[in-house]
Amino acid sequence: MPIGTPFHERTEEHCKNKDWKDWAGFFTANSYNVVNDFEYFAFRHSAGLIDITPLFKYKITGADSGSFLSRLMTKDISKLRLNQATYCCWCDNRGMVVDDGTVMRLEENEYFVTAADPSYSWFNRFVKTSDVTIEDVTETMCGLAIQGPTSRDILKKMCDADLDNLKFFWTTKAKVDGADFFISRTGYTGDLGYEVWTENENAIKLFDAIWAAGKGYNIRMAGIAALDVARIEAGLVMNGVDYHSSLHALTPAQMSTPYELGLGWTVNLERDSFMGQKALKKEKKEGSKWATVGLDINWPELEEIFNEHNLAPHTAAGAWRDSIPVYHRDDVTRQIGYATSGTWSPAVKKNIAMATIEAAYAKPGTKVNFEVTVEHQRRTVSAIVEKPQFFNPERKRSNPKK
Amino acid sequence: MSKVDVIVIGGGHNGLTTATMLAKKGKSVVLLEKRNILGGIAAGEEFHPGYSTSGLLHDTSAVRSNVIKELGLEGHGLVVKNTRPTVSILADDGRSIELNGDTATAAQNIAKISEKDGKAYTDYRAFLDKISKVINDLFDNPPPGIDVENLTMSSLVMLAKKGLALKGLGKKTMLELLKVTPMCLNDFLSEKFETEFLKAGIAGPAIYGTYAGPWSAYSTVNLLIWECAARNTIIGGPQALVEALEKAAKQAGVTIRTEAEVEKILLDDNDDEKVKGVRLKGGEVIEATTIAASCTPKITFLELFDPFEIDYDLDYWIDKVRSRGTTAKVNIALNKQLELNGAAVEFARTGNTFDEMEKSFDPVKYREITTAPILDIHVPSMSNAGLAPSGHSVVSVLVHHAPYNFEAGWSEEEKSKLKDSVLKQLEKYSPGIYDAVEGVEVLSPLDLESRYSLTEGHIYHGEHFVDQLVTRPIPSCAQYDTPIKGLYLCGSGSHPGGGITCAPGSFAAKAILK
Amino acid sequence: MAKKYDAIIIGGGHNGLICAAYLAKAGKDVLVLEKRHIVGGAAVTEEIYPGFKFSVCSYVVSLFRPHIVRELNLAQHGYDIIPMDSSFQPLHNDVGLCRWGDGARSRREIARFSKHDSEVYGEFGKVMTHMARLAKEVIDHPAPDVASINPKELASLLRMGKVFKNLGPEMLQMNTKLLTMSSADFLDLWFESEVLKGPMAVSGVIGTFLGVRSPGTAYVLLHHYMGELDGAFRSWGFSKGGTGGVSDACASAARSYGVEIRTEVAVSHVKIVNGKAKGVVLANGDEIESKIVISNLDPNRTYLKMIGENNLDADITTEIKRFKMRGSSGKVNFALSGLPQFCKGREGDEYMRGDIAIVPNVDYLEKAYDQAKYGEFSERPFINIVIPSLTDPTLAPPGKHVMSCFVQYAPFDIKEGPEHWPQLSEKFGDAVQATIKEYVPDFDSLVLHRQVVTPWDMQETFGLTEGNIFQGELTLEQLLFQRPIAGYAKYKTPIDGLWMCGSGTHPGGGIMGSGGELSAKTILNDKAI
Repeated sequence: MPIGTPFHERTEEHCKNKDWKDWAGFFTANSYNVVNDFEYFAFRHSAGLIDITPLFKYKITGADSGSFLSRLMTKDISKLRLNQATYCCWCDNRGMVVDDGTVMRLEENEYFVTAADPSYSWFNRFVKTSDVTIEDVTETMCGLAIQGPTSRDILKKMCDADLDNLKFFWTTKAKVDGADFFISRTGYTGDLGYEVWTENENAIKLFDAIWAAGKGYNIRMAGIAALDVARIEAGLVMNGVDYHSSLHALTPAQMSTPYELGLGWTVNLERDSFMGQKALKKEKKEGSKWATVGLDINWPELEEIFNEHNLAPHTAAGAWRDSIPVYHRDDVTRQIGYATSGTWSPAVKKNIAMATIEAAYAKPGTKVNFEVTVEHQRRTVSAIVEKPQFFNPERKRSNPKK
Repeated sequence: MSKVDVIVIGGGHNGLTTATMLAKKGKSVVLLEKRNILGGIAAGEEFHPGYSTSGLLHDTSAVRSNVIKELGLEGHGLVVKNTRPTVSILADDGRSIELNGDTATAAQNIAKISEKDGKAYTDYRAFLDKISKVINDLFDNPPPGIDVENLTMSSLVMLAKKGLALKGLGKKTMLELLKVTPMCLNDFLSEKFETEFLKAGIAGPAIYGTYAGPWSAYSTVNLLIWECAARNTIIGGPQALVEALEKAAKQAGVTIRTEAEVEKILLDDNDDEKVKGVRLKGGEVIEATTIAASCTPKITFLELFDPFEIDYDLDYWIDKVRSRGTTAKVNIALNKQLELNGAAVEFARTGNTFDEMEKSFDPVKYREITTAPILDIHVPSMSNAGLAPSGHSVVSVLVHHAPYNFEAGWSEEEKSKLKDSVLKQLEKYSPGIYDAVEGVEVLSPLDLESRYSLTEGHIYHGEHFVDQLVTRPIPSCAQYDTPIKGLYLCGSGSHPGGGITCAPGSFAAKAILK
Repeated sequence: MAKKYDAIIIGGGHNGLICAAYLAKAGKDVLVLEKRHIVGGAAVTEEIYPGFKFSVCSYVVSLFRPHIVRELNLAQHGYDIIPMDSSFQPLHNDVGLCRWGDGARSRREIARFSKHDSEVYGEFGKVMTHMARLAKEVIDHPAPDVASINPKELASLLRMGKVFKNLGPEMLQMNTKLLTMSSADFLDLWFESEVLKGPMAVSGVIGTFLGVRSPGTAYVLLHHYMGELDGAFRSWGFSKGGTGGVSDACASAARSYGVEIRTEVAVSHVKIVNGKAKGVVLANGDEIESKIVISNLDPNRTYLKMIGENNLDADITTEIKRFKMRGSSGKVNFALSGLPQFCKGREGDEYMRGDIAIVPNVDYLEKAYDQAKYGEFSERPFINIVIPSLTDPTLAPPGKHVMSCFVQYAPFDIKEGPEHWPQLSEKFGDAVQATIKEYVPDFDSLVLHRQVVTPWDMQETFGLTEGNIFQGELTLEQLLFQRPIAGYAKYKTPIDGLWMCGSGTHPGGGIMGSGGELSAKTILNDKAI
């Protein structure tokens, strides 16, 4: 049975519709109200607050921790400066992705890593004789993500951290009512946003301070349903949905490389050896088999199919996570890939999806066919291949002008 | 910085074999031995002033004839008899059976105790003779490679044909072989023999160095392999073999360096999956594109490389190789000729009953040690009087089972307790032995590890168990080469395994030359 | 002139009933003869104490082949399995370890003992399930004869080979290890906690006369990942109304196809004329004729009692005598006035609804075995406890419970001699009760009735030679083409017209139904009738 996070007594008050989900063994609100569009709109127009405690969290310490992480991660972590954060993935030695997450350098020799899957045993397997200690803080530390255009103002109001100068993917320490916490300018919405982390015992203090500060800025609790819409618009892949960890995959076909996931930009290939480097070099040279793309699904064609049934067009409320076949543009019997998640995007007003397709069809602008089920009939509509990132506002990375 | 064709790590019998074979083919070879003497577990050493052993292990009966021939060891003074040594099987009630190398004589000796068993022994040897070719094929050839990726109808037909080759045994023998291999020694031998101490004595070699008792399934495999492989007697024991090997090596031009401890295997700067040479303790670097390691697979991969230098699944699987030491060594200097159950013998085994043998193994599982160990006894001074003062004897005892992983820890006190249990056992067969003891050396599995670089004190560089035979030590290193280019394994951790056979060393040399 | 049947089946165990049902479904005239007053063999429910229904011997269902359920419409005949959700291991001075269907919940429980283990636990299950596909291939077909180069046999090997191939080299290596290693050593490849490894390792030795450190026990672990209930690979379940429910469903299905079942009819031996089976001779001297005879009895009884040594070659007799039957387990069933509490620190009874395994660690288990090796029953045995009345209220009066304890080791060949088991029976029961008391201090006060089933009882009452619950040990040399003996592994015997269908044939024991199904299909294929 899932357990509550340290924020549970607060989130429970807000969760009017009792729509709880089990996220890695914790109760997490899928949505806070029956109609939950506003949770999404908070991300884009004011601020949405999400309990992200269920993420797996590790503290990696010791003199060799930087070089250790550099060996494990696709990115050269040794280049990470104090208080800097980065997003990357980690692979097995076949170059297949094990998981993805953020790495933050909190002290000279202390890193904070978040992951989607339990990773203690995987990390620990490589410690061997090096001066590295891995501490699983998943159940002793908690986190809230505050995401949206007013998130900076809210945090500025509740603590003294210099947020005007905190750049995208940097961290800072802060205090609230005597309790320590730290802020990272990171998130999973593709918008201006922060994640705040603290020890469990400070949870309620931190929550209340943010909530109080947010009153004037239309802060709202947001559930993972809203988060899903935002992250698909932002083109952010999800472990277990858009790909499978190679540790859980039962066959090679279920595994993916960073390049295939569109995470090639997180791979620092030319450096001292790291896990999967050889295979990734080979792939880089020879090309990938698969690619992760965005699909812009043709709306008029969908409308037309609905018309045939004398119905107005509609899509599922919120995001979906089913596997949907994607076919060749000229041949609807030739499957060239599959969509793994999708949503109606309120930000770009398009029906979009994230898909894994054969690399040959991955060029933006390529036309493909996408399966839709309307009134129990399977049909296809056309779709245009795009980059997965549909939404990327300037405010995400910018800082206020001085 | 020097440069050679081949570096051989470790100067045991296998290292010497590999080095000599390669040097004979014109390679420049340097052999690096950590200790100040050559021979590894086959080296004889003084353990008490005036008393020397002829090697940590006793048994030279499985040294491969083709290696002796190929290296011309007989030309270097090695004397080999083509029969198995005679071993005395001891019972604690004073009886003993001389298990002669010659089957007929052995059967006659057994018949004196039990007529039924005398007959059974003849049948048993006849069965062994029938399967001997199949098993010796295994010893005289590198392991068969099985290509999993291409497991198709045709490869299955090939396998079926190999099955037919097995059929050369005759269907009955083949079915019998398939039937008995998974069996435990107790089941297998109890079907044949009735005399308890005889069964226990025959089973001995199958138990030595294993994490098993006679009740453990598959223990019969080890018995069949040993019985078929053991064919020779080397006069002077392991030490004589080492001396001949050393002479052969020197004559072939091998550069032998003792007290040269390899600290690290170096990888090529441009290709991190290829060897470049080694660095010795003290910093000296020797370059070579080929390295043959006769040390244990765990030392080779887990100690001579830095973490991350090799693929994690390679070191993962190497780490999973089981090498739980269960053997200790007790060397005794005796001021008289040793007699066991009233006779002076060179080789003897105790065991008495399967239950007693099993009970000597039981405590190992709980990280404890038995007070009634099974003994594998060798009196090398019988055939080599020079090892002890005149009229005195050297008693070399391999003690089973003494766990490496010993909860109480291998303190001097525990070693002394072990000495007492061994002497107490010996007293049963040789009353009054206490008074004749001049000196005793006890080597715990921990001592074996530190003196002979045996991981976890395991005398065979890894347990002889079905999944660790043939694909030894792990499938990706089973053909002596490894996923690291230029690095070969040539020690007991490779097929066909531990004990003094020289077979891994010779196959590795052949793999390198290929 | 008495009626002549197409087939007579000796023994109304679940395999015999299934074999009968398949033959009758194919239009054959079949008679099943059962010695006891009820059918089911070792899969029976009996009301030993008024109001309490015990699954006397076999007590959980997992491996029953789903296609048999479909093909014989068993669900319509009352086959109903209630899945078990948890597996609890009580510990002294601790709340113990409970593993649940809920992965995250199990992870938290295991992490109390080892963080590493908690994370690889799920992984391990996946790999095992993956490998179990292989085993499924093996158990759902007659055993290929490796000694043969007949293309048919090769094709069947190839089919297995293909599954192997798809595993990849790493899995193949894992597979070799799985087939040969001890379950404790195999688990060491994955886990570090001795507490967690205890209950996991034990599934490798259930019903065998081997310890968890005995080589060759690892592959039995697969059985835990092979169970299929309701279309999903899920492990274990209770049969509604006790395990006898499975047998009753099989019997009902058999009758629906026209099988005649007679109980309290003991067969003395098979009537053999000129090396051919012609029917059976009953204990009372009556004879019943049939075209073929199928024995659901174990190999020892089939060959040595039903056929008789005088009808067998000496070689065959020797081989059958080599077939190891050594029983190693007993059952103790309790009628309880209330629910025992195995753990004060846990609320409710949810944690007791699955199985409760008394096996605090690997050493405990191995020590229990060590004692058995030398001819004693374990003073502190492994006990697998289920309280099926928690999920199936039809088994006991309201508020009261039946508790079934599978106990290992209890060697048939006890050092006093197996015939002394009846005198040792209560002492054995006391040892079990004392072991339980270590975890449930007030246990004695709950006990209304205790039934002790020793290996001797299993032999004398249930006809299992030496009390072996699998009709012969499941060691590698007694499996596949060697079950029960090489040359007669395909349900045939050296006697023309005499077949076998019990657990002593491929693929072996447990409530699988495979012996019954595969023997019937082989008989029909061979056009033996």
